[in-house]
Amino acid sequence: MSENTNSIKLPKAVETPSRFRNTIGKYVIKRSNACISCGKCAELCPYGVHIRYSNYAKPLRPIEHKCIGFKCRENDFFCIDKCPVQALTLRKNALLETMGDYRWTAEMLLGHFAMAETGDLPKVDLEYSLGDSGGGFDKMRFIKPDSALSLKLDDDKIDTSIELNKTNDGRPVKTISIPCYGGGMSYGSTALSVMVGRARAAKALDTLTCTGEGGYPPELLPYKENVITQVATGLFGVREETLQHCPIMEFKYAQGAKPGLGGHLLGEKVTEAVAAMRETVVGRPLFSPFPFHSVYSVEDHKKHVDWMKEINNQVLCSVKVSTPTDVDMVAVGAYYAGAHIIHIDGSYGGTGAAPDIAKKNIAMPIEYAIPKVHQFLVDEGARDKITLIASGGIRNAMDVAKAIALGADGVVIGTAEIVALECVRCGNCESGRGCARGIASTDPELGYMISEEYVEQRIINMYIAWRKQWCDILRSFGMQSIKELVGRSDLLIHMDYLDKEERAKYQATPIKQHII
Amino acid sequence: MKQNRNDTIEKILASRAKLPHTISPVNKLDEEGGCGVTGFIASIPIAGRHIYEPSVQMHNRGNGKGGGIAAVGLCAADLGVTQDVLDSHYLLQVAYLDSSSQQAVEKSNIAPLFDIHKAEKIPTIDDYRQIGLEVKPPDVWRYLVRVKKDKLSCFVEENQLDKLEDRKAEDEFVYQNTISLNQQYYASLGEKQAFVLSHARNVMILKIVGYAEQVTQYYCLDDFRAHGWIAHQRYPTRGRMWHPGGAHPFSGMHEALVHNGDFANYHSCSEYLNQYNIYPQFLTDTEVSVLMLDLYSRTFGYPMEYIIEALAPTTEYDFDSLPQAKQRIYRYIQSQHMQGSPDGPWFFIIARNNPYKKIFQMIGITDTAMLRPQVFALQKRDEVQIGLVCSEKQAIDSTLENLAAEDSRFCPIADKYWNARGGSSTDGGSFTFTIKDSGKNDGSKTLITTNKFGDIVDVPSGMQHFDTTVKFVTPATGDKINLKIKDGLGAKDIAGLKAYAVSSINKWDFSELQFFCSELVSQARVNDLLRKNSIDLLTHINDRIFPTGNKKRGSVLHIIRTSLTAIFNEIPKLNEYAGSVYANIDWNNKENLRAPEKGEKILVINARDFQPEGKDCDSRLINKAYRLGWLQYICFGYKGQRFTGCGFGKNSKDVIIDVYDSSGDYLASGIDGMLIQVHGNAQDQLGQIMNKGKLVIYGDTGQTFMYGAKGGEVYLMGNAAGRPLINATGHPRVIINGTCLDYLAESFMAGDPLNGGGFVILNGMSFDEDGTLIELATPYPGSNLFSLASGGAIYVRDPENKLVEEQLNGGNFATLTQGDWDLILPYLQENEKLFGISIANNLLTVNGVEMPYDKVYRKVKP
Repeated sequence: MSENTNSIKLPKAVETPSRFRNTIGKYVIKRSNACISCGKCAELCPYGVHIRYSNYAKPLRPIEHKCIGFKCRENDFFCIDKCPVQALTLRKNALLETMGDYRWTAEMLLGHFAMAETGDLPKVDLEYSLGDSGGGFDKMRFIKPDSALSLKLDDDKIDTSIELNKTNDGRPVKTISIPCYGGGMSYGSTALSVMVGRARAAKALDTLTCTGEGGYPPELLPYKENVITQVATGLFGVREETLQHCPIMEFKYAQGAKPGLGGHLLGEKVTEAVAAMRETVVGRPLFSPFPFHSVYSVEDHKKHVDWMKEINNQVLCSVKVSTPTDVDMVAVGAYYAGAHIIHIDGSYGGTGAAPDIAKKNIAMPIEYAIPKVHQFLVDEGARDKITLIASGGIRNAMDVAKAIALGADGVVIGTAEIVALECVRCGNCESGRGCARGIASTDPELGYMISEEYVEQRIINMYIAWRKQWCDILRSFGMQSIKELVGRSDLLIHMDYLDKEERAKYQATPIKQHII
Repeated sequence: MKQNRNDTIEKILASRAKLPHTISPVNKLDEEGGCGVTGFIASIPIAGRHIYEPSVQMHNRGNGKGGGIAAVGLCAADLGVTQDVLDSHYLLQVAYLDSSSQQAVEKSNIAPLFDIHKAEKIPTIDDYRQIGLEVKPPDVWRYLVRVKKDKLSCFVEENQLDKLEDRKAEDEFVYQNTISLNQQYYASLGEKQAFVLSHARNVMILKIVGYAEQVTQYYCLDDFRAHGWIAHQRYPTRGRMWHPGGAHPFSGMHEALVHNGDFANYHSCSEYLNQYNIYPQFLTDTEVSVLMLDLYSRTFGYPMEYIIEALAPTTEYDFDSLPQAKQRIYRYIQSQHMQGSPDGPWFFIIARNNPYKKIFQMIGITDTAMLRPQVFALQKRDEVQIGLVCSEKQAIDSTLENLAAEDSRFCPIADKYWNARGGSSTDGGSFTFTIKDSGKNDGSKTLITTNKFGDIVDVPSGMQHFDTTVKFVTPATGDKINLKIKDGLGAKDIAGLKAYAVSSINKWDFSELQFFCSELVSQARVNDLLRKNSIDLLTHINDRIFPTGNKKRGSVLHIIRTSLTAIFNEIPKLNEYAGSVYANIDWNNKENLRAPEKGEKILVINARDFQPEGKDCDSRLINKAYRLGWLQYICFGYKGQRFTGCGFGKNSKDVIIDVYDSSGDYLASGIDGMLIQVHGNAQDQLGQIMNKGKLVIYGDTGQTFMYGAKGGEVYLMGNAAGRPLINATGHPRVIINGTCLDYLAESFMAGDPLNGGGFVILNGMSFDEDGTLIELATPYPGSNLFSLASGGAIYVRDPENKLVEEQLNGGNFATLTQGDWDLILPYLQENEKLFGISIANNLLTVNGVEMPYDKVYRKVKP
């Protein structure tokens, strides 16, 4: 283990409040007409739930999502009890029962809203690391570390960077400062400000984001060192120059969310700007074919990779595939073809535009795929020559850490970045002009709801918060670098395989019935 | 009779139930997408070294983890036996992975069962490492055997096979013995010991962990002769320990099969075989294919046509186009064999011996969707005929080049190149080269080429072939020809000389043509103007198709191309500045690449020794030259080098690249403004994501032409293979003068053609043997024309309305408007200029009468 002393320079977290007047909190606080505006609550609450301006008669409507709820009862600043006229009432927010789903629970969504707002871990008692899916990451825990191992090290001395070119082939060595980069979302699937904001965040964080397959809008050019050009089966907007100014190009063979289907953009979202970028017809739906028509085999694939390397002599090649049962062989094939990164995309990822039946039933869950591919590459003697990136249903910092412990070098994040922008996962991404929250929309009016600065800072904040969690885990296992965690599946346990007594030592799996 | 046959089939199948087997696993052992396959069969025996070069050509289609070759129609003398023994005995070849197993194998499966005429170890070189192999190939023992009489009668009796001919029962005995041997010494073991490579009569298979050409080196096959050879480069992607057992070719009984592709329904295919008591032992797609082939052909007794139908069913519009009687039979075959029909990309080459009909065959079959590349070629003359089939055209060219270098009866250019249209009603997606006795009673053989339906594919007869061994004599007309050249070549405009050459070649004999070309070569040495005009002139007669009299076009082209190569080679090398417009660079002086100096304009690149891709490929060199200021290139000597024109980036409008010889895949992909002219046939994946610029192809092109293209102006003299212009957007404008196999412009999204969008003009024409332009039987044979397109248009020349609604999938026919005609006319005019395809005399003339444009062209719009 090399002595790691370089301090990590990460951007600062800047408080970036919600775009919406009414935020969603775990708790609901109501102030009745009995309020006499004495200002007691505002004076007491250290979380900033109650705000009262001196030049204003009444306190503002409570900022509910900051309230820590019933556990505050133990505190001597518990506003409900202290209100001289009992004008305040506190209850759980019933809205939570209709929000989220088994994987992305309401609390996980709110937890990410909070992280994206503050750059810190939520103060409210939200379960943001585990979902209710009843399997996979939600059943995995890190073992209790030996306390003797624990390091006393500041966060900025802990290395969370990963390397994307391990081949030693003379092409540039690319390092990103966090073990995550942004997944491909095309021009057309999201608002331009979202796309640019994600690129700005990637630049600030010294990581990457990806164009998706809808072309390369010129607005991304200032951030080109941090933008991956995706080459997907439709080849929309792919030109030599878009491949020449990217540090990494990504072949998207398939998506875990919809293997056997190409990307699709329904007619409503194909506005004039989108059609111009892709050079297609306005209002006509765009379906990418499910295969690359020029790639029907491994040797075609090698030729395809060679082609990219010919166009750009410095570019690194990433190969994104979904997770069929023989994903291990696909990965080895990619390795032999000269790819730098094999990106395996499991099921459960994907936006609302991917059909549910595909998302939940076709590809292998990423938790199975990662160790399978990792071990296979180890046996093949190839593991240290290729970067293994996982994606598809990796929702939070703990999922990232677990994925790495299972054998990935890093992960690609799509949904969580969108959740940071206050996506509520209503799943209507494809309909009409898209998103009610103005994220997955090409409608100019809806698109104005969101600014590049907001997108940039919210995403930065979320990753800064995540990094705190990673540093905690690494320190507890006596590790200075996240690279040491790769493939340490011995540090993970699965709740189903422990006896009752042993299981009791770990945080129980939350099981809850959801409305959907 | 029928009852008898069914009864025998059931008895054969039942007898196999007794064989030991392992249950077929759900997953195959290896994932192998792709591979390179090549094969040829000739009327005379050909030495093994000639499979070497084409195998090397397809190196980049394999990864050195498995290579194999097969030979059919061997020479008795090379085996040290009499012809009679070769014809009658089984060539049982056993690979001993563990040499200590030999005794046990011989004791259990060979000695007690067979009369051994001869047993020998196939000779090898001393050290496998000296040819770069990492894994020692197995020791292979060859046993020339017949089944012992008593064993055979026992076998027949036991299995009640008395209705089966003796010889066929003996075949079955050999087949079953191999299965037992493989089961005991290979399939059932973790540490494999031995397996049977082949057991056919007059067919030999050898395979190793390495590249195919290393097989010929290791087993000393350079001088070993056979009528037919196939080679396979494998690209398996699993496991670190490799067994040659998994490499191709595989054998059923009397055949060897190689396969390029991958089955999606491996499990279903194996289960289908299990129903007939056949259990795969090597767990690869290829083994399953050959077992299926053997089941259909030897057990069920299907003719080849039905076997092909069972493997690659005829579908959609093609099915409807078949005669009623055929539809009825095919429907039976399909309903019976659908579960066993391999799904997924595949292309097979099969070499087989039919000892009952005394014929050798080489068969190429493509899947219905034509997902793998394939090229067929044929060369015929009275003394010798050869048929070739291959994944990439340059492997065919290099086979012929190699053969021609040694044997003047061969010419480096085939008489005919073509692709098969999978599962079609036109050719059935398969061609068979059959070698049979010529009937001249001198033991000589002849080659016949047929498609799936038995229709003969031929080349014009009575044509003369250029014999390179005949000493060149200056023709009597030499002075006259020379005078013409002297008069015309120095002129600014050499159109007159071009016309003279085109009209004269028809009448000239080979020596006159040779004289004409060699004069041009020597004139080219004089100065740059003469050099330029010589190149122009030779290029013109290379590109255009015109009557060549009684001379084979392949031979004429050979002379022209050799002369061009000579001119290019004589251009001063880049490191010796000669003040010429031209400068030559090749592999040996590539380090001397520099910016153009005064007066230098055209970089002439000899691509021959460059790698097909990667750091040492010529495409990389051209790119470097471009950054140094070179704009014009002549690239020649290609043998499949890829990516020509790629990597120039945005706006390359002043660049001109002229490409000669066997250019490679992905040429012109992504170009943005440059002009590329391909003076010959082109390969697969051309013009992918092409954005701007002009591409002219004086020949045919391969698979997925212009996939996802955004624009550009493209002129194709001949045909495109499958899937041209899929997913193209923007404004590509393309003329295809021939036709294409299927899926033309699927998901085309190129806007409104009358408003700046893109379109394809499909002329459906072809040059006949005399170089005259004729209409094809149909302008488009496929089932899917402009499927699911949302923009653009197809303008198809179809005066007799041969295309029908059933061929469209979402599109509509429309009448051409004046606006449409005004739009396409300039492109047709340019097409006329480039290829000599006249609008008035060729395109608009139907049955000798010039027709209005809207009666000749039809529009297909989304």
